[in-house]
Parts: sequence; structure tokens; C-alpha cells
Amino acid sequence: MTIDTFGAQVASAPAVRRRRRSPWTFRLCVAILGVAVAAAVFAPLVAPYAPDSTDFSAIWAPPGPAHWLGTDQLGRDILSRLIHGARPSLLGAIALLAFATALGVLIGVVAAWRRGWVDTVLARLTDVMFAFPGLLFVVLIIAVFDRGPATAVIGMGLAFAPLIAKFTRAIALEELARPYVDAYRLQGVGGVQLVARYLLPNLMPTLVGYLVVLFGEGLMSLAALNFLGFGSQPPSSEWGLMVQEGRAGVIQGFLGPALIPGLTIAVVVVATNVVGVRLSDKLAVRT
Amino acid sequence: MTKQRLSRRLAAGTATCATFVLVAGCGGSAASPSQAAEQARQKVQLVDSTPAATGPLDKATWFMPKEPATLDLDNDAAGATTDTVMSNICERLVQVQPDLTVKPWLAEKYEWKTPETVVFTIRKGVRFHSGNEMTADDVVWSMNRHAADGANESDEYENVSKVEKTGPDEVTVTMKQSDAVFMKALAGTGGVVLERKAVEDQGDAFGTPSGDDACTGPMELKAWDSGRQIVLTKAANYWNQERAAKTGELTIRWADDDAVVNSLLTGEADGAYLENIASATRLAGGPNTTVSQGPDTRVWSSMVTERGGLADVRLRKALSLALDRDGVSRAALAGLGVPAAEPVGPGAWGYEADKFRAASEKLAAGAPAKPTPENIEAAKKLVAEAGATQQIVVASDGTTGRDVIANAVVDAARKIGLDARIIQIPPQQYGDYYSDAEFRKQADLFTDDYFISKNDPVGFYKNGASDATVQWVLKDPEYDALVKQAKAELDDAKRADLAIDLAQRWADAMPWLSVVQSPTTVVLAGEVTGVPASGAFRNYPWAADLGAKGK
Repeated sequence: MTIDTFGAQVASAPAVRRRRRSPWTFRLCVAILGVAVAAAVFAPLVAPYAPDSTDFSAIWAPPGPAHWLGTDQLGRDILSRLIHGARPSLLGAIALLAFATALGVLIGVVAAWRRGWVDTVLARLTDVMFAFPGLLFVVLIIAVFDRGPATAVIGMGLAFAPLIAKFTRAIALEELARPYVDAYRLQGVGGVQLVARYLLPNLMPTLVGYLVVLFGEGLMSLAALNFLGFGSQPPSSEWGLMVQEGRAGVIQGFLGPALIPGLTIAVVVVATNVVGVRLSDKLAVRT
Repeated sequence: MTKQRLSRRLAAGTATCATFVLVAGCGGSAASPSQAAEQARQKVQLVDSTPAATGPLDKATWFMPKEPATLDLDNDAAGATTDTVMSNICERLVQVQPDLTVKPWLAEKYEWKTPETVVFTIRKGVRFHSGNEMTADDVVWSMNRHAADGANESDEYENVSKVEKTGPDEVTVTMKQSDAVFMKALAGTGGVVLERKAVEDQGDAFGTPSGDDACTGPMELKAWDSGRQIVLTKAANYWNQERAAKTGELTIRWADDDAVVNSLLTGEADGAYLENIASATRLAGGPNTTVSQGPDTRVWSSMVTERGGLADVRLRKALSLALDRDGVSRAALAGLGVPAAEPVGPGAWGYEADKFRAASEKLAAGAPAKPTPENIEAAKKLVAEAGATQQIVVASDGTTGRDVIANAVVDAARKIGLDARIIQIPPQQYGDYYSDAEFRKQADLFTDDYFISKNDPVGFYKNGASDATVQWVLKDPEYDALVKQAKAELDDAKRADLAIDLAQRWADAMPWLSVVQSPTTVVLAGEVTGVPASGAFRNYPWAADLGAKGK
């Protein structure tokens, strides 16, 4: 989906009606993200227990005053693990987007700037990367470089890079067609300087809106990788890994340890998407 | 407040409440964990065998955890799933019974002529599935095949110097030294009799999906549809019609735990020997399924390496005193395991069982099910006596059993003032610690569920010898001499005393921390019965006993 599509949606919706309808869900989603970020930042201060604190006398305890969300198969407090798990979960998604953005923006801007054969080669390169399903591509990377959080982030970053490259190329082409670019060229500003100092700052608002939407997808993809055992390793309380570890209880009827982190991932991803779409609407209108 | 706003708030409130109810309900199922485990335990029958079947069964479907790598029992890749299938197809010179005793089978009788010479009289009239009669030549050829370098059970033949035909129906095995455990090993893969001609005619195809069987058992291999199923049928010309299979056709499939549980609950499958016994809690409470448990040799243990963190035996004993074995059983096996005081389960007690039980109970003093404050105090004292210590590293691979035990060891270490941490090793590499000394240097403790195929404790405790390949801490010439003496002792009562002495010495040196026994657990659909519930199923034709329940 390109930013133009968002723009079209925005244009077709009556502005006044949108303002009335959005704030309630938008504010709720911002609050959810705020809580998630606060949990990530202040985890050691707000979590009632250490995330790896086992208690064999409280295995699979139901929610109660001592453990608000119950405990898992090792008697670890699920709430504390969720709070501590916010950090690797959110940081992982940020790191993968940062890596994918650096690579994707480089490819997109170079393709748009140079055009010609460079554009064609880079377009085919991204097409090839597109041809592989993202998860399969990452599993291939992990098979070569062994599993671990860093490999998962880099692998998933490589899978996301073509998306960002295509998007960046599209908006960069639109931006390069504007008169100020020719004006700078006529003044003798060099290519690298023009792109770094003038083009990229103008692309940023649109790009950031798109990246916020991608953040939810990145978070979910990383959680899926961790669920499959390719990323974070125990005793990490990364949310995808928590779902995977909680599976042992599902067969015995204890759904909480798997369902609670799963719901948390779903809620944060939905909140990110709601905030991201609205943010990209706003940022796209400004440009 | 407008009607629209009110309905939105109502909807939001309802959604929030629903989420809380869902989450609260999910945390503990209908009953608390201890209640659920207790309810399941009460419904599980503790027996050697399920009630005998009274009627035949046309067809049955059985589940295993995974597809066998081979159906050639001598192939090194043969594992528990190969045993589960082939125990119905192939037979041994002697046969283990569901109560774990051993009786002559394809050998009509056997006799120790001298302490180093045992003579087998081969049963007449036994026919292979090909229709050919079993001969003493087939027996000699099969035993030599089992003894060949690289064969799965070749270590059982280490004391055998010669196998020869000494009469039309007589085979004599000459040993370098007398070996009572050898006779128990013959109830396992070491005693399987194969048809030489059938195996040689098949060449490389033997044991593969395109091969056929070459045995005498009550069931024969009909088809191995690779990746999908293995089908066995009742052997038409089985030599022992009194013990002919009650089931006409058995389809064996493989699936993950949850698929196995669902297949059993929905009636798609008739039974399974469970690898993950925790899933029995769902099945024990199922309306159409029964769960039975029987003695097995399998025990989860943490094995001490040469790394040095646990070089001092006092630290090993302290950890053993502080380890919550009952907690491990509840966390990893839904309370269906049994805290283990020694590294081999009661499935090994094929003789003098009462004597072994009493000895095992004594060992529990150093390996409590649930540590008492006195145990913790005693453990702390041992740690203080040991003086300065280095960090203890425990290896896990993230799988439930190993992860729970690794966490339990770290928990025990913290309680008694020791520093311990867990390292993660990919599951594919984890087993390398048995053979790679460099690999073992990563951690002080590796965990595995270890079992033996012989119903004799000496068959396990020989692993404490200085030249053993599964423990790296116990080096004691006296122990080595005792192993030699126990293996040579043909009298069961005397050998039991020697085995108990070995068990005590093993516990004193503690090269492994014994954690929890994993009993054999079999689940059956409501209409079928008859199979053994003990670990005998790996070598006993369990499917032949599978039949319909009486009305």
C-alpha cells in the first residue's frame, strides 16, 4: 500500500467527521502504546517479581492477589514476564525497522536518483527478495548464521528492506519531480548533498508514517520467529517466546500462559496500526 | 450523554470485562493445577498390563511421536519408535513379559554349561514370515550381525568370544568371562532372530520403506508408506497359535503431542504410548479414553561433566538435597512422574523387585522428593565445607523437560548459596555431549531421559565403570571390580546384592543427579484393551495382545 492510497482515503473522508470519529480509539491506542513503552522503560521498577524468578510451589497458579495474571509452568509471574518482555519485543521491532530502513531507503533513493540501469538492477534485486516469503527467507538466514536475537533482527530486516525500498523509490520519484530539486541542481549542489540535506528531510514525514504502520507488522513477525524458536532464547520473556513456552500447558488445559502474551501482541499490533494510519494521514497532509 | 456514546461505552466495558473473564478463566482451567494433576493421577491405573482383551479386533490405529528412521533394529539410527513397531514383528531368543520377567521364547531352553558357556536349544517348527523354517544357522548369523562393529547393540556382545552351531538345534555362545546381563540383553535387540536369506536378498533395502521384514513375530510388515504410516497385519502362519495376534490390521501413524491427544479424544486413534506423559492429564479425564502407567527404566537425570563447577562431590550432594523433584514432576510431567532417587527406574527390577525397592527407598534420603528445611540446612553445610566455588553452568535446549530441570537446578543452587546459570544449546546439537569432550566443557550439567533395554539394574550400573562413556566423574577401581563381579554372578539373589552395593556407591559418588522417573504411559480408546503398561512394550509384541473389551 502506498502513501497515495492513504491520501486518497483521507481526501474522500469528510474532515469534520473524521475528527469526531477518531479520537476515542486513537487515544485508547496511544494509551496502550504508552503503557507498553513505559513497561519497557521502567520494567525493573514496576514489575512485582523478577521475570525469571521460579516458584515450584505456584506452578500454573490461576490469577489472584499474589499473581494478577497467574503463573506459568515454572511458577513465574506472567505479569512480570509481560512487563519485562516489552523491552526485547519493542526494541527488537525497532532494531529490525532501523536496519530495514537504512537499507531500504538507500536502495530506494539511489534507484530514484540514478534511474536508468541502476534503477532496473535494484528493481530486479528487490523483486527477487520479494519473491521469497519473508519468514522462509529469514529461516534461510538463520540456517546459515545460527539462531539468536541478532540474527532474527538482521534476517527480518533484510526481508522488510524491499518493502521500504519500493515505497521510498515511489515517494522519492515524486519528490524529485518538484521544482526545488532542479533549482538546487542549477545552483551546483552535488547529488549526495542534495539527497542528504534536502531530499531526505522532505521524505521523512511520509516515510515515518509508513514505518509506524510497518512497526506492528515487524513486531508480529519477530514474535512469530521467536515462537518458532529462531530468535530469543529462554529465559528471555520476549512475548513470542512466552507464547511458545506456554504451549506446554495448552495440552493440559492451561491456556493463560500462551493466550495472555498472544493477546498482548495482538493488542499492541492493533494499537500500532491505528496510531500509524492516523499519523501517516496527518503527516501526508502536511507534505 | 447521547445514546450512541452510551452504547459505545457499554460495548467497550463489555469487551474489557470479557477480556478479564477470559484471562482469569484461562489461568487455571476449571481446577487448580494441583487439583487437576491429582484428579488425573487418581484416574490413572498403575499396572503391568491393561486388562486382557476378550475379543478380536479387525483394525486399529496407533500413534507414535515420530516416524522411525529405520526398521532395521541393528542400524545405529534405530530408536524407541523402531522398537515400538518391530517388537510386534520380530521375536527374541528369550522374551520379556509385561511383568518384566524373562522367559525362553525362540530358544526353547538355555543352560549355562560352564560360567563362560551358555547353550541354547532352538525351538522347532518356528517359521519366518516368508514361510521358511528358522534354523540354528539363522540364529548364529543373527547373533553375529548384532555383535558386528557399529551395530546398535554390539556393546552387549563385548564379552562374547564365539557363537557357533553345536548341533542341529543347538547354538553355543562362549564368553570371555561370565555375563549374567547378557541373558537379559537377549530379550532386547541383541536376541532378535532374523532370516539370513531374506535379509541378504533385500540388500540395502532391508529396514527401509521399500524393504520387507525377515522375522517370525505375530504380526508382519504390510507397508511402510514413508511420511504417512506403517501398516502391520496379523501373521498368517504364526508358529504359536495360542499367542496369535488378536488384531487383524494395525495402522501406526505419527504426530505431535496435541494431534495425538486430539486423535485419541475424538476416537480417530485407538491408542498410543505417550512420550510426553503430561498430555495424559487431558486423556485421563476424557470420556472415552483410559490411561495406565507401568514401571519403566526411564529416568530424567542431570549428568555432571568434567568442567569443574561440580568437581567436589559435596556440591553435587548439596544440589541433590535441595532439588525439588516433586516440583519438576508437576512442572514437566503434570505430576505423573515419580521423584527419582536413583538413575534407573523400577522397570529394571526384573528379579528380586522387593529387595531393589527397599534399597531405592533408602537412597531417597540423599535425593528427597521435596526438600525439607533440614535438607536445605544440610545442603548449606556441605557447601560451606566445600569452600570457594565457581559458577555452575547448566545446559538446556529450551524443550520442556530440560528447561524445567535446568531451572530447578538453578533454583536449588540459589537456595543453598551457590551461583548457577543456564546456557542454551540448540536441540540438534544437545546430544553431542555424550561423545564430545570439548562440547562438554561448556557446562557442568547436561540433562537427558536415559533408559536401558535390559531388566537388570546391573545393566545400568555398569555405566559407572571408569571406562564408561556416559559418565565422566566416577573413577574407582573398586567400583570397576564390583561391576565385573556383578556381571559374572549368575545367581539372581547374589547379583541383586551386588547391584544394590553398586547403586549405593553410585549415589555416594553421584556422577548424575537423578531427578524424576518417567513411567511408561499408555492411553487406550474405550473399546480396546490388552497391551502392556510397562516398559516391556519395546521388546514384547504388544499389538498382538490388543483386542476388544468384553461387554
